[in-house]
Amino acid sequence: MLEPGPAVTATRPPWLAWLAGLGPMLIVALIAAALYWSLMLAANLGPAARTLASGAELDCRTALACASQLRNPVVPAPAQLAQGFARLSTPVTSPLALPYNVGVTAGETVLGLVLATVTGLGLALLLVASRSFERATLPWLVASQTVPVVAIAPMLAVLLGQYGVQGFLPKAIIAAYIAFFPIAIGMSRGLRSADPLHLDLMRTYHASGAQTFGLLRFPVSLPYLFTALKVSVTAALVGSIVAEISTISFSGLGKMLAENSRASDTVALWVIMGYGALLGVTLVALVNALERWVTPWSRR
Amino acid sequence: MEQTVTPSRTVAARPGAALPTAAALLVGVGGLLLVCLILPVPGEGAAPEARAWLAGILALLAVGALGVRGAAQGMSRAAQVAPALLTGLLAVLTAEGLLRAYAVPAGLIPTPTRVLAALWNARTVLLQDTYTTFVLEALLGFLAGTVLGLALALLVVRFRFLERGLLPYAALFSSIPIVALAPVIVKAIGLDWPSKTVVVAVTVLFPVMVGAVRGLQSASPLHLDLMHTYAAAPTRTFLDVRVPTALPFVFGALKVASSLALISAIVAEFFGTNGHGLGFRIQIEVGRFGLDVVWAAIVLASMAGIAFFSLVSAAETRLLPRR
Repeated sequence: MLEPGPAVTATRPPWLAWLAGLGPMLIVALIAAALYWSLMLAANLGPAARTLASGAELDCRTALACASQLRNPVVPAPAQLAQGFARLSTPVTSPLALPYNVGVTAGETVLGLVLATVTGLGLALLLVASRSFERATLPWLVASQTVPVVAIAPMLAVLLGQYGVQGFLPKAIIAAYIAFFPIAIGMSRGLRSADPLHLDLMRTYHASGAQTFGLLRFPVSLPYLFTALKVSVTAALVGSIVAEISTISFSGLGKMLAENSRASDTVALWVIMGYGALLGVTLVALVNALERWVTPWSRR
Repeated sequence: MEQTVTPSRTVAARPGAALPTAAALLVGVGGLLLVCLILPVPGEGAAPEARAWLAGILALLAVGALGVRGAAQGMSRAAQVAPALLTGLLAVLTAEGLLRAYAVPAGLIPTPTRVLAALWNARTVLLQDTYTTFVLEALLGFLAGTVLGLALALLVVRFRFLERGLLPYAALFSSIPIVALAPVIVKAIGLDWPSKTVVVAVTVLFPVMVGAVRGLQSASPLHLDLMHTYAAAPTRTFLDVRVPTALPFVFGALKVASSLALISAIVAEFFGTNGHGLGFRIQIEVGRFGLDVVWAAIVLASMAGIAFFSLVSAAETRLLPRR
């Protein structure tokens, strides 16, 4: 009782501290689960009562008991979610199951991100190199950002299809179109962020322009690139899903979303949302890992 | 300040360059305009010889680009604004010319003049769609999400428990793609506009909350100490130190959220509406190959987006102390 608090925490092993940090998250998760459960019951009560009144054959007597067993719930019950998850996830390699479709969308997103990075880097170089170019195009680039770019996706899909661009590529191009902007802006800021002192130093070394770029300007801009990539990766994911919805596609998360939205399969929609969230979180985590690997010096 | 800035005056900043710049702009813009007038509308009249026209149009574009480059010299206000406007004009004229030269059918890419015509012809429907998407869905959802996000941020900053328990989830939630969230919410709430408003609110909530928390926590310890030595009440400290340091962060988040709001409203409309909204209009007209209306809807959506963004920016310059 008498030892001071800080000394105790200092001797704690790191894994214990990590575990203790999880405590609040767990409690919040429990509260959220309880809220979810009551919300689910409240939302489904009306339809359940109506179904009962219509005399449908059900395994339940009261509306409250039926609320978690509706065929087509407003908000699915946890057990239904688990069932739906099992139904949509197996067999794992089947083109109709979610894991395969998640893989397709992930591939499109990554391809789109690569395209966006190349475009963004090229634009950033042009923006930094020429002030005329910056003045002539930057306002339009900014405007293209305030334009709801997803609105263009359906039309772009039709257009690309007309010129024979099909399959993986149109979705990747649409993803890239949505994702290039943060990279272009971030990199043009990054390429200008070199310390004037360091630039002076390069000059005293009589370094060539290419050397200054490769040894100073580019490495200094890498943290900016990764900050931009983290924004871009979720944007690219949204882009490829929207592209799948609005093109004729036979696989991918977007196609499954569109299909189940039309069929009003609520449980499937919830499961797909879970997978989408998982994919988003994984992609961001991958960018984080890449950042740690490429720019170990910028660790906070 | 009171000097009137005209393009000719701008270029006069670099003596000797004014005449070539003006000439290049005149040749570029005028030439392209002439090309557009000479060439027939796609689908009407004989198809022109595309190759020769392409060469001519590209040459005119290059001359025009040289003119833009000339106009971009100097530090005057016109030299900063004019190049972008001229580039836009050149781009539209080039697109019109190329589409006419190659006789691209309007079902594929409509010419800018056709888009303008569609914008005018379908104005009542399109304006109503814009009202639904922009005012009812994006704006209302944005306001609701911002209020909720700020409230949650205050709670998170006040209670350390929530910071550790809630904040990680907020970061997690912001990497969920909106498109995956939208159908679930639309199915749960219904096809009318409130469901889309909720989608917008949910997507706006997390960036605003994360930005506000970061801002509120970024107050300088020195300033907080100073307030402490003044024996200032906690509310005073909060209003005088924490809020001013948080505002730039909040507005940064709000700017991001403003474009996010419109995007999510349009995406959410893809998953069911009662027949109103720009997203609905775009989707249905793409299906009918009425691409001129689609482009008109996109023009309206972008204008709404730019207006939204400038609204937030204006509020920022109003509320933020000059740095």
